Amino acid sequence: MKIAINNKPVLAALFLAALLVGGCASGSKPDAMVAQIVAPVHKVDGDVSIAVSGGKETSKMGASQISNDAFAQALRDSIQKAGLFSSVAADGARYRLTAFIGKVDQPTFGFSFTVKMEVSYALKDTKSGSTVWTKDINSEHTATAGQAFAGVERLRLANEGAARENIRQALTELGALTL
Amino acid sequence: MALLLPACASLESAKAPDANIKGLKSFYVAQEAGDDHAIDKLIAGRLTGLGYSASCGEAPQPASRVDAIITYQDRWMWDITMYMIKLDVQLHDGESGAVIARAQSMRPSLQRKSPEAMVQEVLGEILK
Repeated sequence: MKIAINNKPVLAALFLAALLVGGCASGSKPDAMVAQIVAPVHKVDGDVSIAVSGGKETSKMGASQISNDAFAQALRDSIQKAGLFSSVAADGARYRLTAFIGKVDQPTFGFSFTVKMEVSYALKDTKSGSTVWTKDINSEHTATAGQAFAGVERLRLANEGAARENIRQALTELGALTL
Repeated sequence: MALLLPACASLESAKAPDANIKGLKSFYVAQEAGDDHAIDKLIAGRLTGLGYSASCGEAPQPASRVDAIITYQDRWMWDITMYMIKLDVQLHDGESGAVIARAQSMRPSLQRKSPEAMVQEVLGEILK
């Protein structure tokens, strides 16, 4: 059986629906947000613990989001990969790195999705109690329809790219610190 | 398309890990560039009404040290009359300038409130 749809408005509506819906949303994956830095780093003599807030959980019918746990995991893995600190501890470490996801601007529709993200980082020396580094970092990433046709998937890719770039910039700055 | 657009009011906030919002006593509200609705004065006035020390101005930084600096972005729409559809407020640490909390109120036309009421609900959310 051959089904032909000659009605252009119907085709356009179906295409738009596919762009907008295209399946259930899934949250950003930690692995896809792990950043790699190429600049040489000053290794900090001490361990670090990580805390993240400001992220959002993804609901199946909503837009893809970046959760606190996923961002923390990506930050942890990126730091370990770069060898910035002697180790990453769960708690009670010499340094405490906090990341506050202040803003994630997401588009609602379009062929290319650009996500803009702002994260405020702070590194505290728990021994002295002083904050040794703070930085607000802005990043963005565009995912195209060629990378993922379904809108939910494209948004997740854009989220992950913006987060990866944000972490990369943070690690580059941290790697230049001499503590 | 109207069916696809969100039509619900929302109020949300988040705080940085370790942020001590309760310990803040003095604020400076930095006026957003191009703000012709004097939202900075509304925010500072509300803070003063809540018992905090608050000032506002065009300069991005206060003349004297404060516990926190507030920045904001107000977005307006037209529907019979102009109304504020969204108010974003960020709380920055007075010393480092790092963002320590944010809150956002979104009120589409049917759930519109006055700018004073939106300032009140956003500050109530960010300072709780």
